Formats: sequence, C-alpha cells, structure tokens
Amino acid sequence: MRYAFHWEVLWSGQSGRWLLQGLATTVELSALGWVLAAALGIVSGAMRTVPWRPLRALATVYVEFFRNVPLLVWMFFWYFGVPPLLPEAIREWLFRHGAEFWAGTFALGVYHGARMSEVIRGGIQAIPRTQFEAAVAMGLTTFQAYRLVIVPIALRLSIPPATNESLNLLKNSSVALTISVAELTFQTRQIEAYTARALEALTAGTVIYLVLCVGIAAIMARVEHRFAIPGLIARGG
Amino acid sequence: MRRLLAALFALGFVAVAAPALAETTLEKISGTGVLTVGTRRGSPPFGFVSKTNEWVGFSIDLVEQAIKPAIEKKLGKVIKVELKESTPATRIPLLTSNQVDLIAETMTDTRARRDSVDFSLTYFVTGAQFLVKKGSAIHGIQDIVGRRVAAQQGSTNAKIIRERVPTAELREFPDQPAAFQALAQGQVQAYTNDGIQLAGLKAKAPRPAEWEIVGDFYSYEPFGMAMRKNESDFRAVVNNGLMEAIESGQYFELYEKWFGPKGEVPYPLAPENKRFLLMQVVPK
Repeated sequence: MRYAFHWEVLWSGQSGRWLLQGLATTVELSALGWVLAAALGIVSGAMRTVPWRPLRALATVYVEFFRNVPLLVWMFFWYFGVPPLLPEAIREWLFRHGAEFWAGTFALGVYHGARMSEVIRGGIQAIPRTQFEAAVAMGLTTFQAYRLVIVPIALRLSIPPATNESLNLLKNSSVALTISVAELTFQTRQIEAYTARALEALTAGTVIYLVLCVGIAAIMARVEHRFAIPGLIARGG
Repeated sequence: MRRLLAALFALGFVAVAAPALAETTLEKISGTGVLTVGTRRGSPPFGFVSKTNEWVGFSIDLVEQAIKPAIEKKLGKVIKVELKESTPATRIPLLTSNQVDLIAETMTDTRARRDSVDFSLTYFVTGAQFLVKKGSAIHGIQDIVGRRVAAQQGSTNAKIIRERVPTAELREFPDQPAAFQALAQGQVQAYTNDGIQLAGLKAKAPRPAEWEIVGDFYSYEPFGMAMRKNESDFRAVVNNGLMEAIESGQYFELYEKWFGPKGEVPYPLAPENKRFLLMQVVPK
C-alpha cells in the first residue's frame, strides 16, 4: 500500500489543540474514575473478607452486579438512566455543568471499583489468617485490624494486578465518547472527520495512550519498590 | 476505520475494474438489458426495506418511473432495473468499478465529489435544521448561543456550528438514537441534522406531535443522482427523465406519496424548493 503520510495535520489548524484537550479530558476522567474505583474497591474488597455475613453479601452483590454488565451499558445508565431519578433542580444544574463528564466518571469508577474489589480481595486472602488473629489477640478491634494491618499489607500485595486494572480503566475511558464526552479517542476521530487523515489521527491517539500507560506502569513499579516490606515477599531486581 | 477500509477496497476495485472500462454506460445497459442502481436499504423514505419486506422508496420510484422509461425510449428496448445496496463509504467505488450504473439514494452533490463522479440535476433539497421540544425558545441557528446542542459526530453540521456559533455548547454523539435520547431527556436543548433526517426521526418518535423542526437551512444539501464521469449521453438521458417527471407533475405525485401528510416521512415541500425544481427544467 502506498499511503502518503501528512503528519503536519496533527499540529496544523485546530488538531493540536484538540489532541491536547482530548488528552486533558482523558486524564481528568481517568483520574477521578480511578479515585472512585480505588475507594470502592478497597472498601468492598475488604468487606468481602470480613467475618460478618451481611457485609460480605452486600459487597458480593455490588461486585457481581457491576462487573458483569458491559461498561457501555453503564455509560448509558449513568447518563440516561440516573438523571430522571433526580429532582428537577439538581438535574438541570447537572445538565448545565457537564452531566456527560460526571456520568462517564461514575460509570468508569463504579465499574472498575467492582473489578478492583476482586484484586484487593485477592491481596487480603493471600495474607495468612494468623496475621489477623495476631492483630486481634493484641487487642485491636476487627476494624482496627483491617485498617492498620490487613489492608496496608493487602494493598502492597495487590499493586501488580491493580496496575493492570488501572491501565484498563484509562483505556476504557474512551467508551465515554458514546455519551459525547470529548476525550482523546473522540478528538482523534474529530481530526479524522475534519482532515480525512485517518491513519495519522489514529497513530497520534495510539502513541498518546501508549505513553500514558507506559508512564503509569513505570510509576506503579516505583511505588511497588518503594513500599515493599522487606522480607515479606521475595522480589527480583 | 470504516472509511479507511472503504478506501482500501476502493483502490482494489479501481485496480481490477480499470481495464474493463471500454464501453459506455448506455452501451452496457443496452447489451445487458439491465440498469443497475445503487441505493439504500435503511434510509427511509429514499430507499428502505418496508414492513412487507420490499425494497422501496422515493429514489427507487424515481428511477423506476422516470429514469427507466427515458432510457428505454433512448435505446428503443425494454430494460430491467436491478437494485444494489450502497452506502456513503461504498457508493463511489461501486460506480467507478462498474458494479452499478447509477447511485440514487441520499447523496449530496458537492464540488469535491464532482472531482470523482458526475451528478444529475438536483432532485431533492434539504439542509441542516434543529429538532426541539414544541414551544422551545430555539427557532434557528441565531438562538443557540450558550445552549446545549447535540450533533452527529464528524458531520458537516457540527463543523458549521463550531465555526459560526463557537459559544454554543456542542455535544457530539456517534449515533442518532443516543442524540435523540439526550434531547428527549433534556441533556441537550436541540438536535441538529439535515432537515429530512430530523423529519424521519420525528415521524418515528413515540409522540411525534411533541417535536418541532425549526430554523432556516443553515447548510445546503442538494441531493443528486451520481454517475460515472464523462458519460454525457447517459447523463442527458437521466436528466431528461427527471425533467419530464418534474414537468408532468409525476415527481410531485411521488413526493406526495412519500413525503405527504400520509407518507412514510412527512416533509412538506417548501414553495421555494418547488420553484427551484421547476426552474431546473429546460425547454424542450
């Protein structure tokens, strides 16, 4: 195939600004979604292991309900399904203040929170039961044992799979374009629509996602190294 | 991506078909006895599959009742019309590769497209308007400053709004149903697209009377039938067929059938559009 690349379309006209706007939106959306996902994931992941059945059941329902429905459906749910349930004044306020962005954030956060929950639960269950028993024997309450002993260790154990999940979250933020959030993928398509230069636009998008993801993975690797508990896990490197 | 694939296909088709391009379109039709037409299966009322599973539409009727007789008169023999599915991505490659002889669907005649195909005279006129809830304060493009307006992603309409009313809050959706849902729920205050598309959407809505199509056309979309380039004999026959249909009133009967109050998509013919159609008819 002979295709003459015109890379200048990426910085001529409005394309460069669009890419930067798209990048900013993707980062904002993913960061907020990630905070929500991490919070929900840690709380529900811990809840799934506590010795009290109602809490476990509640967390199980959350996880199974939210991770087993496609993200696209959740996007439509938060954007189209939730607003009619809100009082008129709040709804109007939301519509005037980027409802699609917040719907996207919730869809991403709640969906990935359910997936993150399993990652955290895996981390908690990898800790020998005796740790918990020792903590309680020392006089900590269950809540204290979780807050001070179990969760801090589980988080460290969960860093590799949680990194994976975070990268998925970032890439999945592109689904928000279906509810008109002008994130990175949306903007690459926009450039394609304006310049008919599909390959250049797609390449730009691909490279930006790749750089973002590799960057996050590198940061997480450093975090993992920095917070490793000496002697707890054998590590290479 | 789809456009990219289409472009690749197009290259392939052209490469394969180029050597076969020896005879004119009229000779080809005369030889095979068949006029092959590219049209839509899902674009009511221009070309669509009806409830009774028949492939029908305004464009198809025009071909059957206006163009086919004109070709038969010219060739002095009876011909058959065969329909093929065409889409915005495939229609030009289908033509240039000789797989169809005529595109009759919802194709806007543009100067850029005239580089690759020839167009008949304009047989339908539409343009971008707004769909709003009845009683809305939006009456046209002048009223959308600061309002939330939905558009189809990548459409010319979105482009024009961005240039002419940069302060409008544009929300672009990849597909029409999502944009309409956003309008129905109030996420956006207007949805813009070609007037005829909006009329189709309104006709299919659960309660059509709740919606209103407002505003003068802020873009101009003249539909033409497309043919291979530099086939002036064939083009003259097609145009004669259309002119005779307009002159005899047959065109307006068909318009009434598909766009009248009882038609598939009610879309009244504006007086200035009727006048424009009539003025395209040159004397005998």
